[in-house]
Amino acid sequence: MRPLLRAWLRSFTVQGSFNYDRMVGLGLAYVMEPLVRELPGDEPMARYRRALARAAAFFNAHPYLVGMGAGALARAEREAVPEPQIERLKNGLIASLGSVGDRLVWVGWLPVCSAAGLVVTVAVSPLAGVATLLVAYNVVHLLVRWWALGAGWRDGVRVASALSGPAMQVALRFVGRAAPFALGVAIPVTVDWLARGAPPAALPGVAATGVAVLVMGRWLAPALGGVRIGLVLLGTAFLVGLVWR
Amino acid sequence: MDPAVGWLLLWGTLVGLDLITWPQAMIARPLVAGTVAGWILRDVSSGAAVGVILELFALDLLPVGAARYPDYGAAAVGATYAASGAPGVLSWGLAVLLGLVVAYAGQGGIHVVRRRTGAEVRRVAVALDAGDPDTIRQVHFRGIARDTVRSFGVTALGLVLAAAVRAWPLLGLQGTALLQMVTLGAALGVSVMGAVRLSGRGVARAWLAAGLVAGAGWVLLR
Repeated sequence: MRPLLRAWLRSFTVQGSFNYDRMVGLGLAYVMEPLVRELPGDEPMARYRRALARAAAFFNAHPYLVGMGAGALARAEREAVPEPQIERLKNGLIASLGSVGDRLVWVGWLPVCSAAGLVVTVAVSPLAGVATLLVAYNVVHLLVRWWALGAGWRDGVRVASALSGPAMQVALRFVGRAAPFALGVAIPVTVDWLARGAPPAALPGVAATGVAVLVMGRWLAPALGGVRIGLVLLGTAFLVGLVWR
Repeated sequence: MDPAVGWLLLWGTLVGLDLITWPQAMIARPLVAGTVAGWILRDVSSGAAVGVILELFALDLLPVGAARYPDYGAAAVGATYAASGAPGVLSWGLAVLLGLVVAYAGQGGIHVVRRRTGAEVRRVAVALDAGDPDTIRQVHFRGIARDTVRSFGVTALGLVLAAAVRAWPLLGLQGTALLQMVTLGAALGVSVMGAVRLSGRGVARAWLAAGLVAGAGWVLLR
């Protein structure tokens, strides 16, 4: 199997050894390993181990873009770039790969696909909704992983140009608008679908609970987060329901 | 034991793994996890309903950096098992509460897995700092194995709680209706909270407002 394909396949497990000490450092080393296995020049085995040791130290990035770091660092190792420059490249990639990846995927494309899945579930069928979410998301997911690894491997220390190129700027601008719009459409449509079986007398209670959650989550206890606010409210309703017969 | 439970256990373990470790293809989204669990149980509508509600909750989370977040996917599997077979909307409230409990337990499990992997990294730091490829591979795969065990455990917890809920219905009609109302309101509130947070300020907030108007228009014209 070609080293680049092997590295791409390994990139799917990049967070397998995530920990608070080195974050995805070990994952980066694992992804990069096929690309530095046969380094040219003198002492290839010693250079191979030094490259892996550097990669396995602290590193963090969006998981889909770790391949870009692996490709760029492996190319730099192959070209025998001085070690301080490789360290600077690695440290520089941490902030940019995290920021761009989070905006592109977690805050952008994932909410778009989640909203699309919800709307199609409601308007067409649940299985169509699931298919919409998975297909739409993973077409971009697979392309981003492959593009990131390829760009890093091609550009090496000049990889920053790939992240700041016009195509990336257009993509970020698009998802930055599409995500909030899609969520805005999906929320009322989905809640309306869920409320169809509920008695009309319950709807003011639904609205009041929604407002209470917003007030708690935005102003009173923003550190709680959705799951804990949900646990408090649903747990209280459950306890009340136990005695209300 | 229901033979479908074995398939649910397998599905929930895969879903739990997908959340962080492998391959992050979003089968861990509760909409997907719940609907497929419903399909396994031949009750797609219950799975979809539970999945949709937990998906609204999941809109609140941003898996950035070292953030810990609830495991809504594996939780949706247990919640769907709790909801399946019960009549219509009456099944959702308790199932979603169960789902939230399991999702929160899954979040704690993620923290434990990361700490254990960190402890192993410190133990073999000399070999890692020497760039030993075998040690890197072993630590990496043991981390994946740890998360597999966590996903299995979280799914099993959900299924055990769901079996208890199915065997001993605890709420009367009024209690069920109350829990149902609060569940729907909480899902609405948390999803709007997540959407507002995600859209930040400025232009994106205007796009969210435009989307809400379009969605409300869709509902009114339906």
